[in-house]
Amino acid sequence: MSAATPNTSLPPKRRAGLLARLMRDRVALVAALVLGLMVIAALLAPWVAPYDPYFTDLPIAMQPPSAEHWFGTDNTGRDMLSRVLYGTRNTLMMGLAGVLIGGALGALLGILAAFYKRIDPWIMRTVDIMLAFPAILIGLAVAAILGSGLSAVVFALVVSTVPDVARVARGAAVGVMGQEFIEAGRAVGVSNRTLIWRYLALNCISTIAVFLTLRFGQVILVGSSLGFLGMGAQPPVAELGMMAAQGRDFLFMAPHIATVPSLAIFAIVLAANLLGDAVRDALDPRLQQ
Amino acid sequence: MSSNALTQPDPKETSMKIFRTAALAVGALLFTLGASAQTLNMAKALDSPHYDSQRTTWSPTSDVTHMIQDTLVALDWDGKTALPLLAKSWTTSADGKLYTFKLRDDVQFCSGKKFTAADVLYSFNRQRDPATRSPYVWRAGKIKELRAPDPYTVEYELTEPYSDLLVQMTMFNNSIHNKDSVDALGKDYGIKGIDGTGPWCWVSWQPRTELLLKRHDAYRWGPSMYKNAGPVKFEKLSIKIIPEDSSRLAAMMSGRFDITTHFPTQFIDQAKKSPLLNVEEAKPNFQLNYYGFKASRPLVSDKRVREAMSIGINRAEIAKSVMLGQAEAAYTYIDPNALDFAPATKGIIKEDVVRANRLLDEAGWTKKGSDGIRIKDGVRLAPVVFIPQVTVFPRIAEAIQGYMRKIGVDWQITALESGIMPGRLQGQDFDLWTVTVPYLSAGELMNFYFDSSQIPSPNRMNWKDASTDAAILKGRTALNATDRAAGYQAAQEIVMKEHLWIPVMNTRMYQTSTKKIKGARAHMLFQYTFYKGLDVSL
Repeated sequence: MSAATPNTSLPPKRRAGLLARLMRDRVALVAALVLGLMVIAALLAPWVAPYDPYFTDLPIAMQPPSAEHWFGTDNTGRDMLSRVLYGTRNTLMMGLAGVLIGGALGALLGILAAFYKRIDPWIMRTVDIMLAFPAILIGLAVAAILGSGLSAVVFALVVSTVPDVARVARGAAVGVMGQEFIEAGRAVGVSNRTLIWRYLALNCISTIAVFLTLRFGQVILVGSSLGFLGMGAQPPVAELGMMAAQGRDFLFMAPHIATVPSLAIFAIVLAANLLGDAVRDALDPRLQQ
Repeated sequence: MSSNALTQPDPKETSMKIFRTAALAVGALLFTLGASAQTLNMAKALDSPHYDSQRTTWSPTSDVTHMIQDTLVALDWDGKTALPLLAKSWTTSADGKLYTFKLRDDVQFCSGKKFTAADVLYSFNRQRDPATRSPYVWRAGKIKELRAPDPYTVEYELTEPYSDLLVQMTMFNNSIHNKDSVDALGKDYGIKGIDGTGPWCWVSWQPRTELLLKRHDAYRWGPSMYKNAGPVKFEKLSIKIIPEDSSRLAAMMSGRFDITTHFPTQFIDQAKKSPLLNVEEAKPNFQLNYYGFKASRPLVSDKRVREAMSIGINRAEIAKSVMLGQAEAAYTYIDPNALDFAPATKGIIKEDVVRANRLLDEAGWTKKGSDGIRIKDGVRLAPVVFIPQVTVFPRIAEAIQGYMRKIGVDWQITALESGIMPGRLQGQDFDLWTVTVPYLSAGELMNFYFDSSQIPSPNRMNWKDASTDAAILKGRTALNATDRAAGYQAAQEIVMKEHLWIPVMNTRMYQTSTKKIKGARAHMLFQYTFYKGLDVSL
């Protein structure tokens, strides 16, 4: 059977071209550098954070940035730099989990809808209903039912990501379904499972990946918003949205408490969006021409 | 004396004097009319689900119902003394079970209906009707029978003496309602209107937006604590709900609002220095922020563990850093200035981190995990703590959480939306909780929280102790102040030595108004400062 299976994956030359095109895009390079640095800092947080992010010291609460505390201290005297490092770690993990799990589920639903015409209306109408609710509203509902916490936010992000990805995946899969190699596969007796995984999924994956890259920034934003509203991480866990919320009452007295985590969210979302745009452009055959 | 004094007055000068006097009089009249025609604009942080004072414990309901409705007696500025209001006098029988109230005969509701003893009977009977589900029915005492021998006399008979009755009668839940208004509005009572005898009358309410009241023109029966017996000096009172601290701050600073109880605490010092604002602190003011232990739960059932958590924090630091000095550290459950405070409880809580660690060791929590948190029989010392997700509660909780980590205790803070929290507190799935409780006397807190008949809520500690109950009963049924104090003081000593609560701080309460507003004295009743607002003027 394998000998008879047509080659359905991207040619190696095109993959190499993708990286080269990304490298030529200076904005994409800067975005990748910023995002990469933040990811590395977040991963190494336990080793590079100068202080225990949970250690409170009330007498030094709300101190502005100084040589001892580069980003100042928060309203309970905790070191802001350490908390931002740990907060970035939690925020990135939350976004990544939301995108990967939601992306996988959405892609599965979209591809199945495209392949099995009988279940297509059921899946897509459900997706339509889910799309009618703003992501933040779904997040609030999920957090209200499951209770506050990082896992509730991840669940909310997954639920809000699934319908978008399902729609994109179905669109891509419907296009691939019309290709001749699908007909050829069917003609030589390839099983449905193989058709779905090796023919359909592999050819949709780049479209879904680009969408998820673009989606990552939005997911971080929704997750941080939920954290800001108090539905996310619970104290003393550091999470950027929650940290920004904690600082808003002290905007006039200690603006750094709200602005430092807000800037971190801004940097992550901007870098993710720019990188997503660049990946989309690099993969778009019309733009290549 | 000059010679001019003996000469005839110059007619021209006389007419000028008359003109000046008349002009001044007209000016003063116009100013008065102008002032009385004004709308007083008030900002509040929180609205209420409804304004039926018998069906809620919600303090944002209380301030509005005190404006619209009256109680039989008013609470003086000292927070202890009951003054005549709808009742002009009262007597108590020798056995302390019968109160006879003589009512004013010149009172009417906003609708124009005359107030009589029938309204008093209706109000208290409605409150004790189980169908009303009144959470504060206990504040009216254990009523045996209510009688009205004539239209202006009420006989209020209890099954047992209740030494706190008169002070509790000042609370909003004991306001007088008009049966006609309750019947006419049905389920919409307190939502679409209330007919009261208070100095302000209901006009309209847009939930979470604005409540509009107007002057009760016939009002002349204000309590003697006010210089003005009525009516109020503004034609209308507009109460707008501004939940965000920063928006309320900006609105007050710009003069959009005249008065608020909810000026953000962190900016009170700036407000005091502002040339635009007046700030007055409510004194006395009894509001305790505390953490209660659910003593029946395994993690906190050992008194030593509870004491360790109570003495492992630094209250003065919390008051200074978290509350920016707008609170006082609390080392007792009852404020030393409150009625029937027990002086002997002063030394029970002594902050000492070394001793806190020793107590936890003695309680068997000797082993520590890699994160420094104590472990016993494979269980981490990580109690679940419920907190409301509003105002300063998260900040205080996080500060205490930091202290707890230093003694090897990992507080699992669960922040709950304020609408959800009351329901969750009915359960048993938490180890500690926090609220800020306003109160009038030691007796109130002892009866409400520590009597075993109040299990499971509000006695969320599940504290069942015969000696505590006996002491509270002694205070509650006392026939004189000495016996009452003795009973409640004994109860305080028992529960404090058990460390059933962590008292954290007594929060301060301020009334902030713009400079043009005069006579706005801050009252302390149930977390709001405006009370009747009879002396407030331009």
